[in-house]
Amino acid sequence: MRKRTLIATGVMAVLMSATTTVAMAKDKMTLYCSAQDDWCQLMVNGFEEATGIDVSMTRKSSGETFAQLKAEASNPKGDVWWGGTGDPHLQAAEEGLTEPYVSGMREQLNDWAIAQATSAGDKTIGIYSGALGYGYNTDLLAANNLPEPACWQDLVKPEYKGHVQMANPNSSGTAYTTLATIVQLFGEDEGFEFMKGLHKNINQYTKSGSAPIKAAARGESTIGIVFMHDAVKQAVAGFPIKVVAPCEGTGYEIGSMSIVKDSRNPESAKKFYDWALSAEAQTLALQVNAFQVPSNKGSETSPSAPDLASIKLIDYDFAKYGSSDERKRLLKKWDDDVSVLPQ
Amino acid sequence: MRTVHSEAVSQPVLIFWIFIGWVGFLVLPWYAIEDGLFSFEWLFDGYPFDSDYAPAAFLVAQGEKLWLAPLILPIVAVLAAIGRAKNDPLYAKILIVSSAFGFAWLFFQGFGIGLRGWQFDSLEALFGPLGDRQFGMGYGALFMATSFLFLLTQGVAARGAINGDVFVVSAIGGVIAVISIFVFFPIAKMLTAAFITEDQTYSIAVFSSKFLDDRLWGVSCLSGGGKCGVAWNSLFLAVSVGAITTVLGLVFALVVTRSGFKHKRVLRALTVLPIITPPFVIGLAIILLFGLSGSITTFVADVFGIQPTRWIYGLPGVMIAQVLAFTPIAFLVLIGVVEGVSPSMEEAAQTLRASKWQVFRTVSFPLMRPGLANAFLLGFIESMADFGNPLVLGGNFDVLSTEIFFAIVGAQYDQGQAAVLAIVLLAFTLGAFYAQRFWLGKKSYTTVSGKGDAGVHPSMPSRLAIPVYIVAIAWSLFTVVIYVMIVFGSFVELWGVNNTLTFKHYITAFSFSWGEGDIRWTGAAWNSFWTTIQIAGISAPITAALGLLTAYLLTRQNFAGKSSFEFGTMLSFAIPGTVIGVSYILAFNVPPLELTGTGIILVISFVFRNMPVGVRAGIASMSQLDKSLDESSLTLGANSWQTFRRVILPLLKPAILAALVYSFVRAMTAVSAVIFLVSAEYDMATSYIIGRVENNDYGLAIAYSTTLIVVMLVAVGAMQLAVGRTAIGRRTSIKPES
Amino acid sequence: MVGIINSKAASVQFEGVSKTYGSDVWAVDDISLTIEPSTLVTLLGPSGCGKTTTLRMIAGLEIASKGRIFIGDKDVTKLPATDRDVSMVFQSYALFPHMSVFENVSYGLNYSGFSKTETRDRAMAGLEIVGLAGFEKRLPSELSGGQQQRVAVARALVLEPQVLLFDEPLSNLDAKLRRQVREEIREIQQDLGLTVVYVTHDQEEALAVSDRIIVMRNATIAQEGTPRELFEAPVDAFVADFIGEANLIPCQITKVTGETADISIGDYQYSLAARGMSPGAATVAVRPSRVQILASGTPDMITASIAKATYVGGHMEYTVDTPFGPLFALSGEVDQPFTVGQELALSFSGSGPVLLPAS
Repeated sequence: MRKRTLIATGVMAVLMSATTTVAMAKDKMTLYCSAQDDWCQLMVNGFEEATGIDVSMTRKSSGETFAQLKAEASNPKGDVWWGGTGDPHLQAAEEGLTEPYVSGMREQLNDWAIAQATSAGDKTIGIYSGALGYGYNTDLLAANNLPEPACWQDLVKPEYKGHVQMANPNSSGTAYTTLATIVQLFGEDEGFEFMKGLHKNINQYTKSGSAPIKAAARGESTIGIVFMHDAVKQAVAGFPIKVVAPCEGTGYEIGSMSIVKDSRNPESAKKFYDWALSAEAQTLALQVNAFQVPSNKGSETSPSAPDLASIKLIDYDFAKYGSSDERKRLLKKWDDDVSVLPQ
Repeated sequence: MRTVHSEAVSQPVLIFWIFIGWVGFLVLPWYAIEDGLFSFEWLFDGYPFDSDYAPAAFLVAQGEKLWLAPLILPIVAVLAAIGRAKNDPLYAKILIVSSAFGFAWLFFQGFGIGLRGWQFDSLEALFGPLGDRQFGMGYGALFMATSFLFLLTQGVAARGAINGDVFVVSAIGGVIAVISIFVFFPIAKMLTAAFITEDQTYSIAVFSSKFLDDRLWGVSCLSGGGKCGVAWNSLFLAVSVGAITTVLGLVFALVVTRSGFKHKRVLRALTVLPIITPPFVIGLAIILLFGLSGSITTFVADVFGIQPTRWIYGLPGVMIAQVLAFTPIAFLVLIGVVEGVSPSMEEAAQTLRASKWQVFRTVSFPLMRPGLANAFLLGFIESMADFGNPLVLGGNFDVLSTEIFFAIVGAQYDQGQAAVLAIVLLAFTLGAFYAQRFWLGKKSYTTVSGKGDAGVHPSMPSRLAIPVYIVAIAWSLFTVVIYVMIVFGSFVELWGVNNTLTFKHYITAFSFSWGEGDIRWTGAAWNSFWTTIQIAGISAPITAALGLLTAYLLTRQNFAGKSSFEFGTMLSFAIPGTVIGVSYILAFNVPPLELTGTGIILVISFVFRNMPVGVRAGIASMSQLDKSLDESSLTLGANSWQTFRRVILPLLKPAILAALVYSFVRAMTAVSAVIFLVSAEYDMATSYIIGRVENNDYGLAIAYSTTLIVVMLVAVGAMQLAVGRTAIGRRTSIKPES
Repeated sequence: MVGIINSKAASVQFEGVSKTYGSDVWAVDDISLTIEPSTLVTLLGPSGCGKTTTLRMIAGLEIASKGRIFIGDKDVTKLPATDRDVSMVFQSYALFPHMSVFENVSYGLNYSGFSKTETRDRAMAGLEIVGLAGFEKRLPSELSGGQQQRVAVARALVLEPQVLLFDEPLSNLDAKLRRQVREEIREIQQDLGLTVVYVTHDQEEALAVSDRIIVMRNATIAQEGTPRELFEAPVDAFVADFIGEANLIPCQITKVTGETADISIGDYQYSLAARGMSPGAATVAVRPSRVQILASGTPDMITASIAKATYVGGHMEYTVDTPFGPLFALSGEVDQPFTVGQELALSFSGSGPVLLPAS
């Protein structure tokens, strides 16, 4: 469908410029998108429909996009970077790859979204947020006569041996957030003791962050440690998944958005930025089963989505645990002390 | 009358290439257009003065990008060659010197000046900061480079290389140029990337620390406890898969050629299926059967009261999936070999009082050895490069290809790490490639002499036949079950949870509606589906053409350095797709060649991945064409291009079709290289399906795969019909018989 | 119509031409030769002697490593095949299997600047010359071997080449057809006055068709001359044996008087043309047909006995034991042949034997 309209508009453009000999340069912009694919596509279509501005979109993970911004710093090709966990956005702000912008939409946003902006000198802003947790397959839990877990500490109990799955913190941002959360929750020493205990129960460290809950959904594993919205998504898809907000409290991520510095289409970029913060745009997430908590207070949320207000959130230190030194230190420690242990 | 022939041809060709060079310099935009090669918006958007779209001449005239100015020298100089006789020594000298200079200048400015000015500190130190930068080359540069290349080959031809044959020299030059750019350059780039530190300097220490990492080479699994290195995992897996697929392939080849087995056609069809199946689909089906909640697991657990386990995740699962997927490749290699063993040799052995078993052991089997080695090598490389099955079934069993992928796309985003891993992978496959050539190089196994062989293959000895039957039937049943699973899985609501039959997945993927007089493609899969068909459709003819041209050069021409030329063209065969993907990202993400995110890079990667098959098909059928056909055409006054087009090509239809089918199918099912190179705009079916799998959307993934299988079956069937027809024509058309 | 096709026959000249493959394989070693216009010259020799390489150098399919090649007055040494005015008929005929007879014959004309009608007329004329008018729509696979051969000739002829080359053109035909086709080739060559260079390893064929024969051995020219010169006055044992079999008998030249030499073969004395040789060891070559065997002879004849007798239809072949070894002899007398073991007398006919240097 999109192709057809593109061809049609292409033909139109040629015809018009041929008859009027006036260069009809259509407004356009380039979006770097770090959320899931269908969500990105939906945002592009929604924005094009709302404003008529042509968007060319590249979907890459937040790490990749950060690297790309760095590589293109002298010749930026992108205009807006939308989605993806907050750490690399903060890092980009720190390195001056993104531009400060104070949107008129701010008053509609939750506090945590604005806090994200203030901490980065207005160079980024929160667009959604998701809390860490885990989910379990109710059928398998019953089949194995296991008690229902409710806390982080439940996961290190010996009866769950071979039933827990999480991603490898080296390859997954989700798993790193887990590691950082545990360290902040229990303190570093006790936190690592917890990770060692958890290690004994893990049946597989997956590469991708959301894989553990998908395995649980299909009945290939019992418990998966993931962001809660990912678990909700499986439950909504019809899988026997129950979502758990750990009783001790938990960490979270703030999905962010930034405007690329010296971008080629700053006007379009700002239009997108404002639009993306609107309730209308954030409600689109429901169409693609993205159950993150939107930053606009007015946007609709799914009844299945985890309610951030009812979850005990820790005061996650994004500045510290987002810094690359701390990250490397923790990962190395995990590699050396935890991952090598026999299971 | 014929003596002026070559002069009459050479002048227009010369003028054509000079013209192309001038067009590149004066008319076409020098730098790549952001909106892609096929967008012509630039024509109305400030061309020719806007510096984004300006031709080199306009840039220089406006005082920008002054380093392009010297390019005018060679294109002015070559004008002096016009009107000169071809055997005038000045003609060759002018062409060679000026086009070589032009080419070299183009090359050095392209690599010397990049996005951030000087690319090398030494240049900066020498000339001071540049204060300017440049982007990827576009139409103008492409035209000029092509012009210089072919002017150079004309000069070289005029000096008497290859009997002064312009077409052959140009073809060699062209093939060398594209192979250098799209095979050797990316690999070289990848090698250097392995040495880059975080602050963009080079260091051996970085490489060695990554290379000697325990995660790569650790052996603690042997002593119990820890995990073994990724490299060992990959190597062990690939050797096992290579060996098992070779044995199974041989089994099938024997059943088909040397037994009274009645359902050979069914067996053949079964072996074609996995080739046109996207590789990881088999992995999915295996999970659905043997996973913790798989049908068979649950069934066995219920019946025998065994606690189900996750045994399938890891080495066993990956190995089963790969063996299922790659056995057909071994079969296709081996059936030719098994059929090719001359029956009269076996009959000779029988008349010398050898029993059937002794004949098989002492004559038939040794003669099949090159085929076995080939099949093993293919299985080995495919397993090394396979990405989908380890992704789905790997569990904690890490292999190189997935590690490479996650080094690039994961949170760690470490291109250097990916490069190091890719180098290890490449070293393994090249090592196997070399070992095979070394082993076979010393012996001759030619048994097909071209003379008629009236003998009949003996049937298998019974002590071989019984196990062979058992294996073949078991495997066939297994394959059937797997495919039934796949089809069934595409029609149920939610596999394992809700087994209601539904067309939902097909509708989601491929729905369309009628609106405003035309079809509206509303399904989610159409975008990637059309892109895939388009990319496969474009790359298949290019692959076939390049492969056959190379085969022509290799079989029909003699030139210095032919053996290294041959090695170069065959090399990409031993390069796993994963490595191609990584190296393309490293090489074509930055000027002078910015191709990532375009459809072109997908086409190129398919062309160079699949070209060796085109070359092989071409060599095989060209060596059946008597060389005197070309020679007689030459003595009749046709030049070598006319000979190639009028005589060789028409006689190569079967090879052309084989190459077309293969590259089309491969382009539809390939994952390993594609996964790195797709973009939102150019998404391929396989990467879309992997995305669905990652999203736990098995129904859609399987529905899409099933559709692809059907589409390819239809396409392959249509092409095979076409091949069949020409083959009948060809029987009478091989060398004229007396 | 046949009259459209004429000849532009030119000479061929080699000046010190060599062809090497790699650094040490000499296919042709420093040969010089001249082929007069409108003659049929045969390159004859055993396989691997360099005759085909020589032919291919004339065609331009191989480029000489050293020396110069002229066709007519033009130096063509470095000219590729496409640009030489030479046509070739291949051993396999090399008819393009996907083209009709007419398309095959007009193939070269298409690249030689003829108009459509001219091309058509010439192709038809060519087919008429070889007696294949009416076959133009057939595919090569629908023709017999002899017809295919003639199409190949027509295809080469119509271009009116300065030189027409034949590479063992008859080797794929059966014996009877071979004789017929070679006569046709000779006839066309003489009618049109073509310069033809012809490669064969069949000495009978060479003797039958050639104006001159060039015998090659080990990449060099062994001897050049008319068929009669080669047969009757070979320069050495190799040529003598290759052109029609010969018994090579070691002998001693005892005395040379003027043009005549006295030789002794064992006890047997004989005189023949000295050919410039001086006393000492030599070889005498005797064709089998020049060995005369008689049931009884004069005392100066050699005594011998029949070791083997074979009846081959037209004549008898004998292996005869003599004091100096076995000889091979032919006899036209088939009705009353000699029997094995029979004693007899043997002599050489007057003009047959030739004195050659010792081998």
